[in-house]
Amino acid sequence: MDMDVITRNLHFMLGGLVLTFELAIITLSGGFLVGLILAMGRLSSRPWLYYPATCYVHFFRGLPLILVIFWLYFLSPVLTGRSLEAFYAAIIAFVVFEGAYFAEIIRAGIQSIPRGQAKAAYSTGLTPFQCMRHVILPQALRNMIPALVTQAVIIFQDTSVAYVIGLREFLRRVNLVDAREARSVELYLFAGLVYFTFCSTGSLLSQRLENRRQRNWV
Amino acid sequence: MIEIKNVSLWYDKSHQVLDDISETIESGQTVVICGPSGSGKSSLLRCINGLERFQKGEIIVNGVSVFHPDTDIHKLRSNIGMVFQHFELYPHMTAMDNITLAPLRVRKKSQKEAERRAMEILERVGIPEQAVKYPAELSGGQKQRVAIARALAMEPQIMLFDEPTSALDPEMIKEVLDVMIDLAGEGMTMIVVTHEMGFARKVAHEIVFMDKGRIVEKGTGHDFFNHPQNERTRHFLSRILI
Repeated sequence: MDMDVITRNLHFMLGGLVLTFELAIITLSGGFLVGLILAMGRLSSRPWLYYPATCYVHFFRGLPLILVIFWLYFLSPVLTGRSLEAFYAAIIAFVVFEGAYFAEIIRAGIQSIPRGQAKAAYSTGLTPFQCMRHVILPQALRNMIPALVTQAVIIFQDTSVAYVIGLREFLRRVNLVDAREARSVELYLFAGLVYFTFCSTGSLLSQRLENRRQRNWV
Repeated sequence: MIEIKNVSLWYDKSHQVLDDISETIESGQTVVICGPSGSGKSSLLRCINGLERFQKGEIIVNGVSVFHPDTDIHKLRSNIGMVFQHFELYPHMTAMDNITLAPLRVRKKSQKEAERRAMEILERVGIPEQAVKYPAELSGGQKQRVAIARALAMEPQIMLFDEPTSALDPEMIKEVLDVMIDLAGEGMTMIVVTHEMGFARKVAHEIVFMDKGRIVEKGTGHDFFNHPQNERTRHFLSRILI
C-alpha cells in the first residue's frame, strides 16, 4: 500500500468535493421544490392536476438516473439546436429525477397527518394554502425527516454519476488520479472512506434532530 | 340564524347519511342534537360550515347560502366556530399559537392584539397559565378548553360542538360543560351534538333527536324528557338515562 499517492493528490481530489456538494445541494433544494409541487398535484382532487403529476412520478421512478442524464445531455441539442453545458445538463437531470422521489416522500408525509387537523384549520376560516403552510406541512416535515435524510444521502452518492458526461466531481478526479498513478486499491478505498464519512455524519445528525423533536411534542 | 332546508347527504352515492333534514335555529339559541351513533348528527354539523358537501337542499347561515357559487366559504367559516371530539389542536404549536393562528392569518390582526385577545379568552375559559404549553402537556379538559378558546378567538356568531366531552375522562367533563353553559348564557348561538342530557336539560332551547339520517323528534327540554312522542326516542332515552 502506498498512502503517499493520496497525500500527493489530496488537494486535487478533495477539490472535486466542491462540485459534488454543489450538485448535491442544488439537487436537494431544487428536487424538494419540484417534489412539493408534484405532491400537491398527487393529492389534488382535480384530475388535470392529479394525472399529470402521477404520470410524471411514475415515469421518472421507472427510469435509471444515468439514462435521464444521457437524455438531457445528448437529446437537448437535437431538440433545441443548442448544446447544454454538462453542469446544467446534470443539474436539470438530477432535479427532474429526484423530484419524483421527493414527491412520494412529501405525499406520504402529508397523508400521515390526521384529516381532523385540516378540518380544524378550515373551520377557523384558513384557506387550503394557509392550512398547508401553517398546520399540515410543519407537522408533515417532521415526520418526513428520516426519509428526507435517506434521500439526501442517496443524492450525495448519486452525484458521482455526473462523471459520465464529463463533470470532474470528486469520484471523477479520483478516477483521473488513478489513470495517472495506477494505484486503484489505495485510491478507491480512500474514495469510499470520504463518501462514508460524509454520509454517516449526515445520518447521525438526522438522528439527533429526531431525538430533539420527540422532546417537545409527540 | 341558521336555516337548514331539505338537506340530504350521501357517501359514495349508495350510503345515505342525511335524509331530508329541515331545521331552523334562531340567533341566541342553543340546540342540542342527540341520537345513536351513525345517525348523521356529526355530518349535519359539518354541513353547516361546509366541511361536508351535501348533494341536496340548502343551508343558509345568517342570510348566506353555504354552497352557493358566490359564497366565500372561508369567510363564512371564520364566523362559525367549531369544537371537535378529539380536540384537533395543532400539536406543533403552543396553546397561544393555536389560538392566534387564525386571527393573525385570516383577520390579519397584529401579533400584539391577537395575543392580548387570546389571553382574555384563556382567562375566560379558566386556563391563562397554560398559554405557553404544548397540547401534549395539557390534560383532556384543558385541551378542549384551548380548542374552545381557539374557536372563540375568531369572535364567531355561531358555535358548533361535535361531541365535545365524549373523549374526556369523567372528572374533566364538568370543566368543559361549565364553559359551554357560560357561553349559552351569554347568548351565543350554539349547536351541540352531545349525550350530556344534564347539559341539554339546563341550557337547550330545543332538543333534536336523530336516527338513521332523519330528525325523529324535536321539542323543548321539558317536553322532550317528560313526554317523548316517538317510540324510538323513548327507547333511546331509556337507554341513556339511568
